[in-house]
Amino acid sequence: MLITRQTSLSKNIVQFCRYLRQKGFVLGVQDEATALEALTFIDYSNRDIFRLALKSVLCKTKSQLQEFEQLFNSYWKQIGEAVDSKVKTVREQVLKPKDKDASFKSLKAWLNGNKNDEEEKVASYSSNESLSKKNFANIPDDEIDELLRLIKALSKKLAAKAGRRYEKSNKINLPDLRRTLRRNMRRGGELLELAYRNPKRNRTKLVLICDVSRSMELYAGFLLQFMYAFQHVYRRVETFAFSTSLHHITALLRQNDFHDALKILSNKNEGWNGGTRIGKSLHEFVQEFAPRVIDKKTIVIMMSDGWDAGDTELLKESMERIHKICRKLIWLNPLAGYEDYKPQVAGMRAALPFTDIFAAVHNAESLKRLGNWL
Amino acid sequence: MIQLTDIKKMLNEQGYITDDAVAMSLYLSIQLSKPLLVEGPAGVGKTEIAKVMAKALQTDMIRLQCYEGLDATHALYEWNYQRQLLHLKMVEHNNESVGDKEKTIFSDAFLMKRPLLQAITHDKRPVLLIDEIDRSDEEFESFLLEVLSDWQITIPEIGTIKATNIPQVILTGNRTRELSEALRRRCLYLYIDYPEFEKEWLIVKSKVPEIDNKLGEQICSFMQELRKLQLEKTPGVAETLDWALALSGLHIDHLDKTIIEQTLGVVLKDWRDTRHVQMSLSELMEKTGIISKIG
Repeated sequence: MLITRQTSLSKNIVQFCRYLRQKGFVLGVQDEATALEALTFIDYSNRDIFRLALKSVLCKTKSQLQEFEQLFNSYWKQIGEAVDSKVKTVREQVLKPKDKDASFKSLKAWLNGNKNDEEEKVASYSSNESLSKKNFANIPDDEIDELLRLIKALSKKLAAKAGRRYEKSNKINLPDLRRTLRRNMRRGGELLELAYRNPKRNRTKLVLICDVSRSMELYAGFLLQFMYAFQHVYRRVETFAFSTSLHHITALLRQNDFHDALKILSNKNEGWNGGTRIGKSLHEFVQEFAPRVIDKKTIVIMMSDGWDAGDTELLKESMERIHKICRKLIWLNPLAGYEDYKPQVAGMRAALPFTDIFAAVHNAESLKRLGNWL
Repeated sequence: MIQLTDIKKMLNEQGYITDDAVAMSLYLSIQLSKPLLVEGPAGVGKTEIAKVMAKALQTDMIRLQCYEGLDATHALYEWNYQRQLLHLKMVEHNNESVGDKEKTIFSDAFLMKRPLLQAITHDKRPVLLIDEIDRSDEEFESFLLEVLSDWQITIPEIGTIKATNIPQVILTGNRTRELSEALRRRCLYLYIDYPEFEKEWLIVKSKVPEIDNKLGEQICSFMQELRKLQLEKTPGVAETLDWALALSGLHIDHLDKTIIEQTLGVVLKDWRDTRHVQMSLSELMEKTGIISKIG
């Protein structure tokens, strides 16, 4: 009743929801309806109450709560201005990410096996640069099939741990009273045929964090493929990519075709393919995500050359934290594939004490060995 | 019909010091009949909200504590097997048909109601507290979603039980695990953070009224500084209250180094934190103005 009377208000609410959606809020029609319904219970002429009510209905996470005030103010200010200047409709500015053509090209180049051998594009501290190209210049596209097979085998291995829930079982173990009673009802309740249950098996969770900075340019394509493939055959994977800052890419990799995913990624991430700030990125990871994505059953796999242009102290702290809360921390370093490799970079040295397993990852063969540690 | 100001008044009467955001969320959650998801660090009074709400609405609170491995038999119902077996033994020589026997042992009398079933069959609309939902696993979360949207529970042997009253649901979480988008969408969301100095001092005053003013203020500002440190387990309001209660019980009227060192165990529950704070105690005390800087 009230809603129909206040058409301009309800129109504004719908508009505001649309505005929030552009800012990354996940809001359905249901939420809009709830917001409108909520207004019938409050005195919406009071701006504070109005704001609080919308806030409590439309925000679903902590970060949204923090953003809300500012978004609310800027939106209603715009509305106010528009009304003042007698402009009928308000068009919000849509912040469309600019097409980062250049970075997409280079991503594509990784994917296609780095056919362009431009020397100056490869920034690496290593003098073994030419060797690394030998390893990686020729990743054929069909290697992803081989990769998928490998990862399927890995995920089977991961599935073999006992959990706290129960499932039915034919092995003689714990009695399952419910099923026992059911089975024996026809005998008048004489328990002759017993049913059993066993602890349900639990699957290990995996967190993959990949370095996609300049120095990793040669490997990132291969590693992203690896992450993508893993995401598709194994359910309990969370994936992250970082160069100067961290990006949670699980949903992106899960929902999209690999090429599309790369395209979106390269559009989104300005720091992509830039310098490395492992310390800062890992710190972000610890602050933002670690408590939620890591538990005692989680294996964390870092994929980086350890080349950090930032604060190694921060890197050390973050590694210590992650190491403490996860089951196992594995560091895969593409450079470790060389015979004479020694972890001499400051970042790598800082991280090593908190690494359970340090290993090479430079081809599919090395991924096979990963199975031994999971 | 309940008003926003009533909620605020009721919260105050129950000694729950809060801000407008909390009152608004509670109010809308009641009015819209939507579950309220409360997140925030440990010890800021998330669980307390449900208790206060139950008192304010003059109804019962039913609590479901979540943990890893929590499943339907612990959340919904379970048959009382021992009783069923005994009953079958007792009627062994009756000439009842198996069908009749079955009907008897799978009836209400042999059903053990767990919190969720209790909540939906309760006479008066209860407050259902689902505590630490993030500790349960994803399987349980999706099961819960179903209950929260349909408000009915199907027991194969009996049939479908529909809610007599839709409970007022409060879910709490510590952000130990990311909750699903679907669950979030179904709820109103509220985040409660550690209180500011003024609010914390108000809480202390209302819960420990006998406390010395100077001591109380010192405790609160010390806690504020403490929370700025990188600790393993940051102390919450519950710890502040424990400490205030302990110190005022000892008839202490101000903080000094010895007292803090001796009673730090009330506030910090991790030995590394204790060591960390002991090392930087002088600095902390300077910051809070308990001792003035020397030189």
